[in-house]
Amino acid sequence: MRCPTWLHVKRRPHAAEESLVKQSSWTTAHAERLLWRAGFGARPNEIEHWAQRSRGHTIDWLIRGGSGPHGTQRMVGPAPNADGKALDPNNEWGHDMLWWLDRMVRSQRPLVEKLTLFWHDHFATVDQDTPLMLAQNRMLRGHALGSFRALLQAVTLDPAMQGFLSLVDSDKRHPNENFARELMELFTLGAGNGYSERDVREAARALTGFTGNWREGRPLSIRYEPDHHDDGVKRVLGRRGRLDWRDTLDACIAHGAHAPFLVAKLWDFFVSEPLDRDTRRRLVATYRDSRHRIAPVVREILGHRALYADLHDPRMVKAPIVHIAGLLRLVGRGVDDRAWTWISGQMGQQPFRPPSVAGWDWGPAWMSTATARSRFLAATWIANDAPVKVQKGSVDVAWSPEEHVEQARAVTGRPWTSGATDDELLKLARRFLAHDVKPGDTVRAWQAEVTQSALRHLLLSGPDANLC
Amino acid sequence: MRACDDFHATDRARRRMLEAPLSRRRLLQAGLGATLSVYGARALGLGDSLEIAQASAAAAPNAPVLVNVFIPGGLDLLDTLVPVDAYGRYADLRPALKVAEPLTLAGTGLGAHRSLAKGLGGGLTGLFERGRLGFIPGIDYANPDLSHFNSRHFWETGIISMRAAPGWMARWIDRHGNPDNPFQALSMDSGLSPLLRGARVPVAAVSSPDDAQVWVPGVWGDWHERMMEHYGAIAARRPGAPGPAAVFGAARQSRQVATTLRPYVKDDDTGVDPLAAPVPYPGDTEGEGQNGFAENLRYLAAMLNLPLGIRVAAVQAEGDFDTHDDQRVTLDRDLAKVSEALSAFQADLEARGIADRVLTLVWTEFGRRAQENSSGGTDHGAGGLAWVMGTRARGGVLSPYPDLVTFDEHDNLKVTVDFRSVYASLLEQWLGTGADEILPDAGRVGRLALVA
Repeated sequence: MRCPTWLHVKRRPHAAEESLVKQSSWTTAHAERLLWRAGFGARPNEIEHWAQRSRGHTIDWLIRGGSGPHGTQRMVGPAPNADGKALDPNNEWGHDMLWWLDRMVRSQRPLVEKLTLFWHDHFATVDQDTPLMLAQNRMLRGHALGSFRALLQAVTLDPAMQGFLSLVDSDKRHPNENFARELMELFTLGAGNGYSERDVREAARALTGFTGNWREGRPLSIRYEPDHHDDGVKRVLGRRGRLDWRDTLDACIAHGAHAPFLVAKLWDFFVSEPLDRDTRRRLVATYRDSRHRIAPVVREILGHRALYADLHDPRMVKAPIVHIAGLLRLVGRGVDDRAWTWISGQMGQQPFRPPSVAGWDWGPAWMSTATARSRFLAATWIANDAPVKVQKGSVDVAWSPEEHVEQARAVTGRPWTSGATDDELLKLARRFLAHDVKPGDTVRAWQAEVTQSALRHLLLSGPDANLC
Repeated sequence: MRACDDFHATDRARRRMLEAPLSRRRLLQAGLGATLSVYGARALGLGDSLEIAQASAAAAPNAPVLVNVFIPGGLDLLDTLVPVDAYGRYADLRPALKVAEPLTLAGTGLGAHRSLAKGLGGGLTGLFERGRLGFIPGIDYANPDLSHFNSRHFWETGIISMRAAPGWMARWIDRHGNPDNPFQALSMDSGLSPLLRGARVPVAAVSSPDDAQVWVPGVWGDWHERMMEHYGAIAARRPGAPGPAAVFGAARQSRQVATTLRPYVKDDDTGVDPLAAPVPYPGDTEGEGQNGFAENLRYLAAMLNLPLGIRVAAVQAEGDFDTHDDQRVTLDRDLAKVSEALSAFQADLEARGIADRVLTLVWTEFGRRAQENSSGGTDHGAGGLAWVMGTRARGGVLSPYPDLVTFDEHDNLKVTVDFRSVYASLLEQWLGTGADEILPDAGRVGRLALVA
């Protein structure tokens, strides 16, 4: 039987229409939430563009691309530079990360970048050469929304991954278990989830045969040497035979624990609410029916009403690089400063340098006293240059406190703030504008500028700005 | 030299961060905050933040403090602590590198690299002679992993596994710490040490009072204070959901750290440093080479003297001990920096009268190959070196020196002591708490007497 493609799945009447957010209640807040979770935030006019269309239309654009608020342009915004110089990601330290940050800021396929980040974390590869990591990044991007099987095969053949998890030169005499173990534990099944040490050892045998074209201690490319492969009979996850690497990956994907494991991890990436059993079952069915394609599962998650829970009280902690890309997107600034490499590092996430094979700890774990301060100073970095920096003479001394807050919001791309924060900002504006000003006198120009500087900064540095 | 690339990649990333911390200096260079000198000793409304730290300190004013110092790169044992009793064999293994005139450590059969005598009171060898330093040669774990990254991760978590896990000191402070005081576990760095990563109770990463402060373009002086009051009011919300709770909690605690340390920021205009040390540190004198490690220790000693309730601290030494080449030059220079910094720190603690409650553990991620290589260096090996230091540390040589004749199957020194036995011993003998609750293998690794 031919399995349906994901397009067929999409057209199929949905099994659980009630789990989707209601089409009739599609608002600006819904569009804003979706663009943060599926991307890196958006300017108010972009959010409005999607708010005026439909949920389906917006999700379609996220998944398939096509014409959006900027027509069919692929990248929108100023080209990147590092302190005035063009980026040289292969050779200049930190430019790899700036190159990717630029895509996060400017790409009109934000979901593709976001999922590339997901896979970068899922298939975390540590301490490999930059050109290999950039090649891996392009590979992950190409497969981001495609077939998980094709992605897993490409990851298995990836030189950076092979070097990192000692798959390259693992031969029949000394099969290395490193990759086999992570394949089951981290990539497909989850720790201790229905496999045994014997499965790991047997899989390591089946995965032998790769060798590398080495240069300067790195495998530049991978080839397969049948002579190095253990072609004996193995038993992996219940399959028996002269299994090779493809058979092993297929055994993992076909294992009963795989689909629930992967859909739950995708869910947690997009949604802060826990995944309930019914939804999980439906996502598993979607994933299996689509023959392990990623897009249909993501489509279903992005439409799920749980993603839109508490629209006025967001609960997901923005990952550091998502926060930085979002700040730049919202204020309409491009990547123009090498400082983002170490600022993101101090915030706890430098892309291309995950801390371990298990990737980063997401969610509340992002926050510490040091990272909170670094997040504050990320806003300082934004506020120290156009367009957020307050130019002398640009602030009208006649603005009321309300107008001050409104002007600050407009310049900073209208980031979300709670009602309590709104009250506090207004309080600040009133206090700052009244300070040392006698009744009947006008506010001094510098005083109005200080007020404006403080408001803009707080909109970007306050705790609210770290949530989406 | 495939194995060492990971060190350089990791270290490069670190150095970049250290070179460009979000310090006031750096921000001034960037043209921010022209009027920053308003900090300093001006009276500030510290709110409850200092009180929390003080209360936590007052509850146990003499509680023992464990300082954890990491020497990055894999320090070589043989040239640091020279086996003078087996000098012939040593010279065979190290024909080019051998240390010609090591300083004899009486009654041990060993000699110290001459750089270890650099610093106040005869440096580290001076501390050894006074019985305040105990060397632990041959330290590692079974089947040592020669990757910097992996081995370091094992030491940091206290678990021989590449799984992500909270640092072993994070696990300790979670059990024995305070729910409100971020100073209790201090990372003397702009980023949180992996030793403390993953803690559920508040911990802090700060390399100096200056490094805790924040700046806002165009908002200076009293206006900055006013703005931060509003920031504090926003951060006072205590949401229940885990994500917002973490964000608002960290915002409050970072303010707590900043305001508590605000009075101690050095005044760049007057040069007044409220945390000035009672002893000279390397790098203090004009023209001397900078020693960032010493500066971190200087701030740490001063902060240990404040009622902040510090229980554990993590510091990283300066230098590149991944000596695949030029080992002789590197050790001459970088061991001197380590010795000068640590001996100043110890003298400082003693001068302040707080030395009896501070014990320092110094470690490195692995040892190096006994046989030198052909580029004037040594490759990654096993059986490294650690030491404990302090007025209450047990002095001497506390573990067997590795055999120089029979090696393991990879031609490396045979490990003589598991680092986890040192951790377990420190937990029980110094911090006075159980080891099993922190280290999964505590029951299998034995103990060393480390506290006098």
